[in-house]
Amino acid sequence: MTGAVFRAMLIGLVRDRAALAMSFVLPAVFFLIFAAIFAGATGEQLRLEVAVADEVRDENSTRLVDAIAADPALLVIGDGVLDADTVRDWVRRGTADVGLVIRADAEPLDSLGGFGPAPLVVISDPVRGVAVPMLEGQVQKAYFAALPDVALGGVMGLVEDQFIELNEVQRAELADGLAELRDEADAGEAASWGFEDLFEEVSVAGESAARNHVAYYAGAVAVLFLLFSSVHGAISLIEERESGVLDRILAGPGRIGVLVNGKFLFLVMQGFIQVAVIFVIAWIVYDVDLPGHLLPWAVTTLLAAAMAGGLALVVAALCRTKRQAQTVANVAILVLSALGGSMVPRFFMPELLQDLGWLTPNTWALEAYTAIFWRDQGIGSLVLPWAMLAAAAGLGLWLAHRASRRLEIL
Amino acid sequence: MGYAAPDNDQESPAATGARVLRVVGARRRFGERNALDGVDLELGAGEIYGLLGPNGAGKTTLVRAISGRLRLDGGRVDVCGLDPGADRSARRRLGLVPQEIALYGELTALENLTVFGRLMGLGRRECRRAADRLLETIGLADRADDLVASLSGGMKRRLNVAAGVIHRPRLLLLDEPTVGVDPTARESIHELLLELRREGLAMVLTTHDLEQAAELADRVGILIDGRIRAEGQVDDLVADSFGGGRELVVALREPAPEGTTSALEGRGLRPFRDRRIWTGRIDRGREDLSSLAADLESAGLRVEEVRVREPGLRGVFFRLAGRDIDA
Repeated sequence: MTGAVFRAMLIGLVRDRAALAMSFVLPAVFFLIFAAIFAGATGEQLRLEVAVADEVRDENSTRLVDAIAADPALLVIGDGVLDADTVRDWVRRGTADVGLVIRADAEPLDSLGGFGPAPLVVISDPVRGVAVPMLEGQVQKAYFAALPDVALGGVMGLVEDQFIELNEVQRAELADGLAELRDEADAGEAASWGFEDLFEEVSVAGESAARNHVAYYAGAVAVLFLLFSSVHGAISLIEERESGVLDRILAGPGRIGVLVNGKFLFLVMQGFIQVAVIFVIAWIVYDVDLPGHLLPWAVTTLLAAAMAGGLALVVAALCRTKRQAQTVANVAILVLSALGGSMVPRFFMPELLQDLGWLTPNTWALEAYTAIFWRDQGIGSLVLPWAMLAAAAGLGLWLAHRASRRLEIL
Repeated sequence: MGYAAPDNDQESPAATGARVLRVVGARRRFGERNALDGVDLELGAGEIYGLLGPNGAGKTTLVRAISGRLRLDGGRVDVCGLDPGADRSARRRLGLVPQEIALYGELTALENLTVFGRLMGLGRRECRRAADRLLETIGLADRADDLVASLSGGMKRRLNVAAGVIHRPRLLLLDEPTVGVDPTARESIHELLLELRREGLAMVLTTHDLEQAAELADRVGILIDGRIRAEGQVDDLVADSFGGGRELVVALREPAPEGTTSALEGRGLRPFRDRRIWTGRIDRGREDLSSLAADLESAGLRVEEVRVREPGLRGVFFRLAGRDIDA
């Protein structure tokens, strides 16, 4: 009997193109959009738009502007021919994320320790405050990488001024060295004279943060749509009530438990395929290592689909009308997904919301997926998320049975 | 014919042969209202029982009780000697045809029958054989692979009935099986039900269609306020209500005020709920109504119509319920 319910739902889904698209195409498209957005948000593909005004227009300032323009993290707009007022205006209007003015009435670029105004002015809009340290960091990097002779010359000037006076021979050697350094910098050979060596980046997320963000959002979008499509499928219980199919079935030997179990099995299968589609796309397009984690992924997905199916059936069994079920489910899913990290990762949230997130099944599903694909942790770290998902699935199915039993005997 | 009710019941020695349904003193209250107030009903194999009653009379509650979905406050129901509320094998002997088209629209006719057959406990092959036979019976063999959503209203109605008998029940509960269909489709469903009766299926037919009840039912029961107020063959019920006489109907232009109705009541006429329509029995050969019209006018009542007609089930229902069945 359970098989008959499963079969009826399967045929219904296969023949309903809108439901098919809703179940398998829409989540995939949604995931691709999210992945495209958040793969860029890791900083690997982010380009800050900078409006630059070069009031000095000497050799050094031109070299600095060229070096900034060559930085792949920055996109210079205005090409250095803007004036300071225009830069300010562009930042205010949002045309540029941040502005940079190389000031004429200030200490020169090769001067360190002077008492005049700083040679560089960063124009910022508070709503894009993060752009300021990013620009400062990139400009310092460009300054030391592209103008090493200017930087070192400034340092030596300061040393000579404060500590040791060089003799003529030493000055000549220094000038030769700086000229050589400049030639190397111009040729792109001396990318720096050691500053970059100060940092070595080691990521806990493995090789590519972007790829891991994609893996995160594959899980996040999958769980969100698992809940939506499970509710869509479970609502057939209400449709059967309204169409008299339920009365027909309940007049026979099968009880409502048969119907609930058949639907649950179908929803688990549907959910598993739905999540599989998303992760296969993540694997093909973004190189997320699905084949390398197939077994833990499959267990997580099976449990997440069971969780979504169980909860969806509770909603369908408790609500009297389709409209009521859809409204309740939409609100619940959006709240659970927001708190559970399906929309924005939980580590961006205030602590209270992060704590509340532990009450959502989304959180546990995402914990499992991130442990598998992001942190590459062993099975041990999956035991708790799996247990929580299994508990949510079992509780949902039990509640759905209890709630639906009131429809059976009046 | 594709359907044949089992001659004997091998699944349970408790099955009682000819008597298929027995309801004894069924009672159920919902709050202050007696939905069922001591209903008794018996039905034998090959018998159609027309269950009539105004909205809210308790018909749906009684059907639910028979199908084992209602906890009774008192009394009992047995189907083939078994309690349908407690015994799966009793429910296997039951079929239900809801008023709605209780089918999956996105499945074909054949798929619907096999799904419901499986849900009723049939094996795969048995189910397929029964479905093929039934599709022949209801004239849909050539539409077996068409989606139900693409079938006409009449076809859906026939399929709706077929889905209720795919598992060869002993008792079929039908709720308004022809509502909303054209006369041709209605006729074909009547033929189908009569065929099922010939093959031994007992049926409880809940309907507002009095002509249908009169045409199909071997016996009718009129359920009012949770009680069966009259039961029997249609002719007997008519004879009980009208003797050998005819039915007199007086329609006033407006409801009769209190104190103005002695002319009506003196002739044994009884009002419907709004006191505008009055009905009663009039002996044959004494149908001179000229004095009635004069009496009514002198009482200040304005008459719209006075009619004498052959009594039927509608008249019986009027007299018992005080209103039309569709009101």
